[in-house]
Order: sequence, then structure tokens, then C-alpha cells
Amino acid sequence: MMAPDSDAPLVERVKQGDVKAFEMLVVKYQRRIERLIGRMVRDVDLVPDIAQETFIRAYRALPQFRGDSAFYTWLYRIAVNTAKKSLMELKRDPTVAETARASRDEDEETSRVENELTDGETPDAVLASKQIAAAVNFAIEALSEELRQAITLREIEGLSYEEIAEMMNCPIGTVRSRIFRAREAIAQRLRPLLENRSGERW
Amino acid sequence: MSLDLVKDAKLLEELSALADGELDDAGALCARWYSSDRVRSAWHAYHLIGDVLRSEDLATAPARDAAFLEHLRARLAQEPVVLAPAPLASRPAAAGSAARGQGRVAPAWSWRTASAVAAGFFAVAGVYTVMRPSAPVTPPGAALASAPRPAVPAPADAPRLASADAAAPVPATLVLTGKLLRDAQLDAYLAAHEQFAGSSALGMPSAFLRSATVGAPGR
Repeated sequence: MMAPDSDAPLVERVKQGDVKAFEMLVVKYQRRIERLIGRMVRDVDLVPDIAQETFIRAYRALPQFRGDSAFYTWLYRIAVNTAKKSLMELKRDPTVAETARASRDEDEETSRVENELTDGETPDAVLASKQIAAAVNFAIEALSEELRQAITLREIEGLSYEEIAEMMNCPIGTVRSRIFRAREAIAQRLRPLLENRSGERW
Repeated sequence: MSLDLVKDAKLLEELSALADGELDDAGALCARWYSSDRVRSAWHAYHLIGDVLRSEDLATAPARDAAFLEHLRARLAQEPVVLAPAPLASRPAAAGSAARGQGRVAPAWSWRTASAVAAGFFAVAGVYTVMRPSAPVTPPGAALASAPRPAVPAPADAPRLASADAAAPVPATLVLTGKLLRDAQLDAYLAAHEQFAGSSALGMPSAFLRSATVGAPGR
């Protein structure tokens, strides 16, 4: 029997017509989907477009989503299909440069340095990412044992609140509270980094 | 818009639970998605944290994430509304803020209901067209034609909804794009959509309306 999908509450709302719930799912999965597409498509500038296309297709197809698989599994398949379709369209287009057309598995000799430079990321953005990763690691080390264990069991081991409650020998409400407090403590440390200079805000 | 600090914390704790799928009803939180930047930034931060804990190469500059959503939002606004009506014999439970699994509602097949629903729908959402690439159909029988309905003028030469008769409703996918035609069969179609009853539920931009598909039993 499949474990309950943690996206079920939001998916339910999208099916009822709530596009805000869909946006919340987008915010949740956008990074992972972009990374997946980036592994398939060599030209990293194409990744955001293919990711956008993926989410639009998912939005259109959601009425047919029946929960036979987890939402993310379904979304993942749409991303793979969308990326493949884009690659095929690129191959057919004679105006597209040879280099852009290549998919990642055809890439042989390109060095890592060259990859990083052709990457859509500016040095500023790369630095920001490193800072975020460092801040999260630092913050999690600074947590109390209970909070660190709770968030680790949830985020890395993927356990449900009930399973964590059993492991930590405490009520489910306590698990929920600990995970929340852990997140808030880490988010506190991230906030200065997340208020970005370009002025774009959530 | 600022919330009371205690309420704020309670709400964010619920948001945290929702992130883990451990909250039954996301309604109250979704309702604040546009209005509360605290809710939006917390949702973004919680998931960024999770992603980074699992894999550092998911740490992205936040400006990219915000720009991505903004762009997608503009595209979502252009999406046509797709309605997938449920056959009247087995409709999913009424949508709305009710918790999941409240039980099935038996179809109340009365024309007063149909008209009331239709009236409510039009009062809030304006006038919509359902367009189908099909030949005109003959109007249904006398009983249906005599149903009371609000007086909304319909263009004489406009295309009619092609659909099965009331006895054997056929699920069809239709796209709402413009002006609606009043039609006895359309009233029947609207009656199949319980979520439009109690029209205050349509407090959202109609372009974003989606209908639940035919629910498989036991979902």
C-alpha cells in the first residue's frame, strides 16, 4: 500500500479550482524540476522555459491526475517528457546552433569550468547559493538535539510525524512543533540572505 | 497586512505541517497566499531548507525562484478553464471548504435546483460561452423546456451545446472562453456542478476555476 502523498491536501485544492494551491506546489518543486531538466538538456538557458512548460502541462493535466502515483512522481514524468520533446524540437530546427542542440549525454569533452561559464548562473548567483547552503548547515548544527533530530528525520529520512513520534518517544503534536521551530530557526539565519538585492520579493 | 504575533506563529506552524502533508485542510492557508508575504516567504524558506538539507546543489539564488513564479503566474492566467463534468449518477463529494471525505451527495435532480444553480453561477461569474465544434441539437422534451429560468437573452444563431439527453449524460470536456448561452441542457450541465451552488464560493478569478474530475470510489 502506497504511503499517503504529502501533497494530497494541496492537490485536492487545485482540483477544486484553487490556483493558489498550485502556485504553492510550484514553489515547492521548482528547484528540483529545474535540476532534473538541467541534467537532460545541455543548454542551461533553456531550463527555465522547459520548467515553465512542465508546470503548465501539469496544470492542464491535473483534472486527470487520479493519485495512482504520488504527485511528484507524476510531475517528474511530465518534466522528463517535456524535456525530451524540447530536445527533439531543437534537433529539428536548422537555425539552432549545434551546441545548444546537444543533450547532456552527448557531451564528452567539455570541462567543468566551461560548463559553469555557460551556465545561466552569474558569479553573484553562484555565491548566493553557496552562502545559502553554508547558512543552512551552520544553522542546523546550532539547533538543539531534539530540533535537529526532528527535522532530520522528516527532511532526510522522510518519516511521517507518526513515525517520528514513535522514534523520539513523544506526542505527534510535539513532533509538529519541533519541526516548525527547527525550520523557523534556520529560516531566521537565512532571512538576510533571502532578502535579495535586486528588489524582487516574495 | 500584519497578523497578531501569536496567531502568526500558529498559522506558520500549520503551514509547516502542510509542507509535510500533515494538515487536512489547506484552505485557510491558501486563502492567504496572495495577501500574506509572511506566508509566502515562509513556504518558500521551508522548502528551500528541505531541498538544501537533502542536496546542496539545490541552493539557488532566491531572486530566480521569485522570478520563476511571477512568470508562471502570468502564463497560468492565460490558461482556459477546463471543466470535466461528472456523470450525474456518480458525482464526487461537494467541493468547497468542507474537509475531504464528507460523503457523497445524492444528485438532487430538480429543475428548480438547476435554475438556482445557474442563476447563482451567472450572478457571480458573468456570462460565459461554452463552445463545442458540433452540429445544433434539437431541444429537449417539453418537461425540460418548461423549466423556469432567469431571462437572459441568447443569440439566435449561436451554436448550441451538443450533449446527450438527461437519461444518459455523457461526460464531456468543454472549454469556457466567452459568452454563455442559456440552454435547458446547459442548465442540466450546470446542475452537475455542485461546486457552483452557493455562489459565494466563486470569489476567485473565474479563469482559474477548475472542476474535480469524476472521482473514483474510495479516493
